[in-house]
Amino acid sequence: MLSFLYKDNPFFRLAESFFAGLSLGYYIGIVMNQTLKPNLVLPLIHDFQANWHLVFAAGLGVILYFRYIKRVAWVSRWALAVYVGYYVGVNMMQKLHGEVIPQVGDTMLSLSYHGIGTLWNLVMVIGVLSVLIYFYFSTEHKGVIGGISRIGIWFLMISFGAAFGYTVMGRVSLLIGRMVFLVNEWARPLIGLIT
Amino acid sequence: MQIDRRIIYLFVAIGTILPIIFVIGLPVSITPPVQMAFDRIENQLQKGDIALVSFDYGPSSAPENAPMADAILRHCFSKGIKVVVIALYPLGGLSEAVNEVNKVVAEFPELKYGVDYVNLGYKDGAQAAMKKMAENIHEVFPTDVNGTPLDELPIMKNIRTYRDMKLVVSLATGIIGEWWANLVNAQFGIPVIVGPTAVSAPKYYAYLEAKQMAGLLGGLKGASEYERLVVNSYPKLAEVYATPGLYTATKGMDVQSIVHLIMIAFIVFGNIVYFTSKRKPRKAS
Repeated sequence: MLSFLYKDNPFFRLAESFFAGLSLGYYIGIVMNQTLKPNLVLPLIHDFQANWHLVFAAGLGVILYFRYIKRVAWVSRWALAVYVGYYVGVNMMQKLHGEVIPQVGDTMLSLSYHGIGTLWNLVMVIGVLSVLIYFYFSTEHKGVIGGISRIGIWFLMISFGAAFGYTVMGRVSLLIGRMVFLVNEWARPLIGLIT
Repeated sequence: MQIDRRIIYLFVAIGTILPIIFVIGLPVSITPPVQMAFDRIENQLQKGDIALVSFDYGPSSAPENAPMADAILRHCFSKGIKVVVIALYPLGGLSEAVNEVNKVVAEFPELKYGVDYVNLGYKDGAQAAMKKMAENIHEVFPTDVNGTPLDELPIMKNIRTYRDMKLVVSLATGIIGEWWANLVNAQFGIPVIVGPTAVSAPKYYAYLEAKQMAGLLGGLKGASEYERLVVNSYPKLAEVYATPGLYTATKGMDVQSIVHLIMIAFIVFGNIVYFTSKRKPRKAS
């Protein structure tokens, strides 16, 4: 796979195809063995009377594939609607209770002077408000609103820079993992290097 | 001025391979989020308490998450904390859980499976499983990874819900770690420590600041800091981490530092070339 860094070549293409095919095959196997079999097939086989309702869930799953048949593609929208509705219901309270309310509460910081902490609280409040104003597009970003949204852009750019730095570290970590494999488990046994 | 990008790749490759072969041993500084995670386990959990460790990553992010998992498990076992292991990540979470637990447990021969630790295996539908575990873990995981009913395992006899545990540690890639913070901690109150990949780490700081998380191990850096803390508190583990050929986050951070320096050098070089080339037409006029 790493040979692509030099240039595209048939070995890379072969490895890429193997990787794509193996990944997809593995994922299908995982879904069959660890999702469908224990949650649908085995309960229906072992105790149909207690688990008959799973037939409806299986039916909804099959109906999703109707979208590939033009004449009855519209039926798949009903299954999709159930799927989306379920996740909206599950996630609405989770998002409100787990994200919106705690985060809003954490932004309500004391701005009365109590040392260096006040400075950070001020930065936090200014940052949150300016970024929120930046994303308010119902009014033109001119004058005071324009000025505050420009501050918001700076906060966004700084946070994107920090996130990018973390991303670079993450990608280098994965490279390190592969190089450690090549060096410790392949090159060293071949060459017989001793640390 | 154009540099063939393969020259950059070559420098990065050399910068990656050489520190792996010749370990440098650069110092590791500890950051507050990792210290918080360590203090939670070290000071607030006692011997015999139960910690749930969830392997929510797969081989694709193992270079970052596996050292975290090893460090957390070694810390828990050194302190006598009992560990319940689960996996909620579909693409290889279970294999990572089995591999890492077996690797670390081999270093603690006094531990007994089913008494000091247990691996409950993988469960599909992460959010649904997390919600259901608040009602009855035995319904979510009727058997352990070996097929043994939970009622036959001494460690699981008194564990039914999150209330019977003191801590959840999620080693995560993607969104599953967020669900532990914004679903499990928010709704059921159990402290949560998350060890995300570096790509995901920035978004977890919001949860950490809002006290929805008890600690954060961000990427390979976080793992190396935790290893340092564990080795400082449990000198016996220093021998383990000094094993030649063993991949640790601390050794990985040496490579990180060198590669980052190479990148900074190229960025500085590129900017110097850019600004000097901009200046040249002015000189000509």
